[in-house]
Amino acid sequence: MTTPAVSCRKITVRFATPSGGAHTVIGDISLDVEDGTFVAIVGPSGCGKSTLLNLVAGLLQPQLGDIAIFGEPLTGINRHAGYLFQQDALLPWRTVLDNVMLGLVFRGVPRDEATQRARQWIARVGLTGFEDRFPHLLSGGMRKRAAIAQSWIVDPRILLMDEPFSALDVQTRQVMETELLDLWQESRRTVLFITHDLEEAIALADRVVVLSAGPAARIKGDYPVALARPRDVAEIRLDPEFVELYRQIWADLRDEVRQSQAQGFR
Amino acid sequence: MRMSRLIDDGTSVAVTSAKPRLSLVTALQILVFVVLVAAWQLGAALGWIDPFFFSRPSDIAAKIGEWLVTGYLWPHLAVTLTEALLAFVIGTVSGVACGLAFARIELLAAVFDPYIRILNALPRVILAPILILWFGLGMASKVALGVTLVFFIVFFNTFQGIREVDPVVRNNARMLQASDRQLLRHVYLPSAMAWIFSSLHTSIGFALVGAVVGEYIGAARGIGYVVAQAQGVFDTTSVFAGLILTSAVVLVIDLGIHRLERHLLRWRPRI
Repeated sequence: MTTPAVSCRKITVRFATPSGGAHTVIGDISLDVEDGTFVAIVGPSGCGKSTLLNLVAGLLQPQLGDIAIFGEPLTGINRHAGYLFQQDALLPWRTVLDNVMLGLVFRGVPRDEATQRARQWIARVGLTGFEDRFPHLLSGGMRKRAAIAQSWIVDPRILLMDEPFSALDVQTRQVMETELLDLWQESRRTVLFITHDLEEAIALADRVVVLSAGPAARIKGDYPVALARPRDVAEIRLDPEFVELYRQIWADLRDEVRQSQAQGFR
Repeated sequence: MRMSRLIDDGTSVAVTSAKPRLSLVTALQILVFVVLVAAWQLGAALGWIDPFFFSRPSDIAAKIGEWLVTGYLWPHLAVTLTEALLAFVIGTVSGVACGLAFARIELLAAVFDPYIRILNALPRVILAPILILWFGLGMASKVALGVTLVFFIVFFNTFQGIREVDPVVRNNARMLQASDRQLLRHVYLPSAMAWIFSSLHTSIGFALVGAVVGEYIGAARGIGYVVAQAQGVFDTTSVFAGLILTSAVVLVIDLGIHRLERHLLRWRPRI
């Protein structure tokens, strides 16, 4: 067996509460992600999905347990990972072009080469003609495209995505999902995709991991998605195989969502 | 310290949302000026206002004209402006540098917090005689006084601006593997820029206050010196003329800062 791209061993995360206690967000999670697979992580809101992603990103350290990236223990920022955030993460004071080339600039790539590669990526995500716009003059979907180009231009081996399309309207969202799959099809990088939308998870991923409601979220279920690729994100939702899989996973997820709602939204 | 920005934003709203109102506002502003000056002149003429204490607009205008023609004022103005600009630059650079350091190094901020507060609570005008003792009657003492005024304004605003950096944007830059220096240059400084600029509007005025007050207390040249001399012989006309010229100069400099701000902050959405 090859070394997994991401390997989490018995991870626990606690936050101190204002009252002086400790709130356990993630309780004893172990998860291996094979290189080149698209893994979706679903769970009720507030269960700690984003926390898990931040751990793999190296933005957060677990109190207990170990994380290894391609077999090497993770210390500090994960240098193999690109991160697509849920919120707007573009630098508002930089134009689209400057934002997209930022990762290359940080790595010391000469400016001419960085500009050229950024222009190629801007074309790939369909933003040609908007290079000199500042982010606030773009639509939500366009900002997301720029963010995709920004995180993928450095060709990270692992792509972390935290509900990247949740703020978009339904149509834009489906377009973005299709484009994401097209891009992914070319590079086949490892993807960890957080979502609370089970349909999105099944349509995109090779594997769906269900997290339980917090506190102390753990892995409730782990399902392979054997649907053929390339997939049509819109059509696949009508596939009988898709529907059956949805039924199975939803049975798992439903209890967690109810439990989380019973605790009140967090 | 945020006041000037609030007002600025207010006018920019008026400009973008209702263009025709701009000319009305300008007309009313001119009207207010005319009414005030006319009332002053008339009051002096009718004996309601004693020109000995309050002078009169026509005299002040004549005095300013005389200074401009004879060139009496230029050397003084040059000295005051040099002092103010030096104080402004030194105070701004050191304020930004310290603000950055304090915002990035928790321990530094925690340890020095009470001392910074104490220093800032000092009435700076009281410092003027001591600074003159230390730095002499020349320009240095005026610059020093201006720096003590400018530094804190810029320092507090920079500190706050750095603290307010969007954590998502910061984390994004970190994931893109920005080094600490790159974070500072590409994320922290541009993000704090809006705060820093709002402090610059206030502090250019204070830089000039530092220079003029310093000159007033002890100097041989400068606008403050001119005003102090005039006051010594109860020449209120010259006092007012000095005051008016000083504020006119501040307005011109502030306009320059405003232009620069508009350019550097062009990435911000206009509300």
